[in-house]
Amino acid sequence: MLSFKLKILFFASILTLCLAFALPLNAAEPDAQKLLEAVDDNLWSNTKRIDGRLMIDNGRKERVLTWEHWMEGVDKAYTRYKSPAREKGTKMLKIEDKLWMYTPRTDRKLLIAGHLLRQSMMGSDLSYEDMMEDKKLSAAYKATFVKKEDLQKMECCVLLLVAHDKTTTYQTRKLWVNMEKEIVLKQELYAKGGKLLKQVEYFDYRELGERLFPRKMIFRDLLKENTKTTYMFDDIEFDVDIPKKYFSQSILKR
Amino acid sequence: MIFSIAWKNFSRQGIRAALNVTVTALAMIAVVFNISLYNGFQAQTTRNMIRTDVAGGHYRAPGFDILSPTEWEDFTLKIPTALKDLPPSDKAEVLVQQGQLFPNRRLYPVQMRGIDINQTLLDLPLEGLKSYSGKVNDIIPAVLGIKMAQKAHLKKGDTAVLKWRDQYGVVDARDMLVVDVVTMVNSRVDEGVLWLRLDHLRDMTGRPGEISWVAVKDFQGPVAAMEFQTVEELIADILNLIENDRKYAKIFWIILIFLAGIGVFNTQILNVFKRQKEIGTLMALGMTAAQIVGLFTLEGSMAALLSVVVALILGTALFAWFQSVGLDISHLSESTIPVHENILLDIHSSEVAATLVIIVCVMVLVSWLPVRKITRLDPTLALRGRAIT
Repeated sequence: MLSFKLKILFFASILTLCLAFALPLNAAEPDAQKLLEAVDDNLWSNTKRIDGRLMIDNGRKERVLTWEHWMEGVDKAYTRYKSPAREKGTKMLKIEDKLWMYTPRTDRKLLIAGHLLRQSMMGSDLSYEDMMEDKKLSAAYKATFVKKEDLQKMECCVLLLVAHDKTTTYQTRKLWVNMEKEIVLKQELYAKGGKLLKQVEYFDYRELGERLFPRKMIFRDLLKENTKTTYMFDDIEFDVDIPKKYFSQSILKR
Repeated sequence: MIFSIAWKNFSRQGIRAALNVTVTALAMIAVVFNISLYNGFQAQTTRNMIRTDVAGGHYRAPGFDILSPTEWEDFTLKIPTALKDLPPSDKAEVLVQQGQLFPNRRLYPVQMRGIDINQTLLDLPLEGLKSYSGKVNDIIPAVLGIKMAQKAHLKKGDTAVLKWRDQYGVVDARDMLVVDVVTMVNSRVDEGVLWLRLDHLRDMTGRPGEISWVAVKDFQGPVAAMEFQTVEELIADILNLIENDRKYAKIFWIILIFLAGIGVFNTQILNVFKRQKEIGTLMALGMTAAQIVGLFTLEGSMAALLSVVVALILGTALFAWFQSVGLDISHLSESTIPVHENILLDIHSSEVAATLVIIVCVMVLVSWLPVRKITRLDPTLALRGRAIT
């Protein structure tokens, strides 16, 4: 009888010890999904206007394109390229899952749909599909906490994102998120079989009103050698009024 | 009588006659050679296409176009029972999908072509894939043609990342192992093509039981939801290409015949001019103008008749030698012409006969045209050699 009581006491002690150690650990582990939502909220807004540069480095030569971008929600986006001379006047209009491209040289608009969306965008490491990404990560993926890691001298949570839907282009992603600022510092995109395909890094976050937004974003196709595509966001405005004509096909002309 | 006079007159022309015979014979040989070379090219192309790709025709998903790679994944379907039950010697199931290969971390777009590994209908050197199980593992075994391997800088035993999309458009990638580099007689199934096991490709893309086409030995009648494409339809582009080339070759034939004809024509004009007194004498002796025209025409035609004999002797020797070496077309290796080996002549007796007949007829015509004026000659002036000045 005594030995039975001792056994219970022993197990109770073990349980108490475990709980004592486990609780602080659990407390440190963030709610991955909520963190992801916070990251989305920081990046996405109702409307935004960006003035920026796109640097496409194919390993041998770097091209720099300057552009202006207007965005409304996740469905509508309009981009106008300002330089170099070869690309000047090129326009892209995205409405829901359709993308039109207008080039002044041909004076024609081209619907980029279906399989064409998988082609490289202007020779960059992004496909049109990557560029058109129109779902918030928190809506498309289920996030789980993996570990903590230091990146860019900041403590980050590594989140593993698994797609809800079997039609999502990248079935898994990994995100390095700074919990304190709720910003993403790095993202890795994986093939269905687990091979790492692309990497996106975010640099130089700055405060814009209540948001933190990166000044620089670098895309790398890791299957290619020495290529990278850099987005520089030189001037950003959130929640701006955008003329309706910007999201109409009538804008796709000289 | 007229024939023997014509032969004597012809042989007296000496070097001029020999030249006419030689040029006409060479024109005959060149035209027959050219026609037979095109025949050989077409025959070898067709044979290679049938052996390695086309077989007796394809049952395809309606709308499938090999020249529209971005649409390949939209035109696949489950293999119908009528075709599935055919023995491996009578059908070859094929699934074609778009992929991206990254040899040495450089992008190389490829056609992933999965073929039923047990088929014996098509003659493809894919033994290297047979030792692998039907379930695809972390490394995808593939066979490459020599050209493809050269362009992608890959050799047997090398690996490279292969990226593709599954049936839902999801990106997938794995390492691909080159298990063999083989010689393909048809460059269309070599360059840009990555040969995989059909079961592997189906597994990779999530398309169990699906095909892009089924190559069959013989037409099996209409099959629901599929369209049949005949050999002629499948190689129509090559046949059209050769046909167009033949059209341009006809210009070359005409020039050759024209050159040979000019020689005979010139000789005939000279004959009439130089032999006016002979013509006058023949007229005085009682020959009619028509008979004299016939005599001169026969003389001129002797070159054509003799050139047939010379062409047959020279041509037989030349063609026999050529058939032992063939025409090296390695300079076309960059094109998609489905011939790898040297081209041999495909000589059709009917075409040879037709060529000879046409050239002989042309020679008879050019022998007759200049001597027509004899009918208008005044015998007395001709006797004095002043009928034509």
